[in-house]
Amino acid sequence: MIKVTRLNGEEFYINPDLIQYIEKTPNTVITLTNDKKVVVKEEVEEVIERIVAFKRQIFCSFQRNDGLAGE
Amino acid sequence: MDIATLAGIIAGISFIVAGIMMSGDLGNFYDAPSIMITLGGTLAATLISYPIKNIIGIFRVTKNLFFTKAKDPNGIIRQIIELANIARKEGLLALEEAAYKLEDPFMQKGILLIVDGTDPELVRNIMETELTFMEERHSQGQAVFETMASLAPAFGMIGTLIGLINMLKKLDDPSSVGPNMAVALVTTFYGSILANLFFTPMANKLKHRSAQEMLYKEIMLEGILSIQAGENPRIIEEKLKAFLSPQEREALHHNSTAGEE
Repeated sequence: MIKVTRLNGEEFYINPDLIQYIEKTPNTVITLTNDKKVVVKEEVEEVIERIVAFKRQIFCSFQRNDGLAGE
Repeated sequence: MDIATLAGIIAGISFIVAGIMMSGDLGNFYDAPSIMITLGGTLAATLISYPIKNIIGIFRVTKNLFFTKAKDPNGIIRQIIELANIARKEGLLALEEAAYKLEDPFMQKGILLIVDGTDPELVRNIMETELTFMEERHSQGQAVFETMASLAPAFGMIGTLIGLINMLKKLDDPSSVGPNMAVALVTTFYGSILANLFFTPMANKLKHRSAQEMLYKEIMLEGILSIQAGENPRIIEEKLKAFLSPQEREALHHNSTAGEE
């Protein structure tokens, strides 16, 4: 899950796998696959970075576990 | 100012008065006890039917029938497009300042909600609830008029019965039967006039007003959600135009081109 901030400063986490597209309108509007729209404070690039970081985190821990199982 | 309400009432009364004068004497149609029975009875029965708050509310509603100026849907759409432009250029937060300048509290509330970053789903929910209850409130005013419309002819009927009973009690003088019968029927006349010239049309106008206001608010709601979704102002315009009749769309087009020149 990645952390995003609503316009009123409230922070919450969003499942990046459900993101359909992100628009800059110039506010960042994230549309989820269920057609829900979320307006967030972060820039588009920032959101993408966080997604990448999150995926990397998952992938790394997966590799570690995999390594342990192989031993 | 709604000319139609006033014009309708004046025209209605003058046509009836003229019609009476052409074939008879207006004095025949004036009878104080009859007025007391029909008007007084209708008002009293309405008091029984509704809580006092609704009855007092009726006076304000009646004032609206004459003095409300019709809102222009094109004006609302143009306002929304303007806001959409601000949102596209400077972001949603820039709308806060613009929101305080808005006259319509409903629109203002919607814009402030999206500035606060409220979930679109929730914005729709809040606004739709407000709409539902606005319609509910409107229908209360209509209901009072509708009740009065259904009661007035009934009291006219009762007045006629009273007149007939009084007449039949003193039937020994055959020459008085005609005039007494006429007086008795005057109440039915009053009841029908009250119901058909005043109360039913007023209820209809209120209904129409309410429907129109609902339409405007729905346009606003759709517009506000579109702004939040960051849609293109031109697309928003097209989307909102769908609410309007072809003639009104034409007017919007003329005005927007006139504004650009």
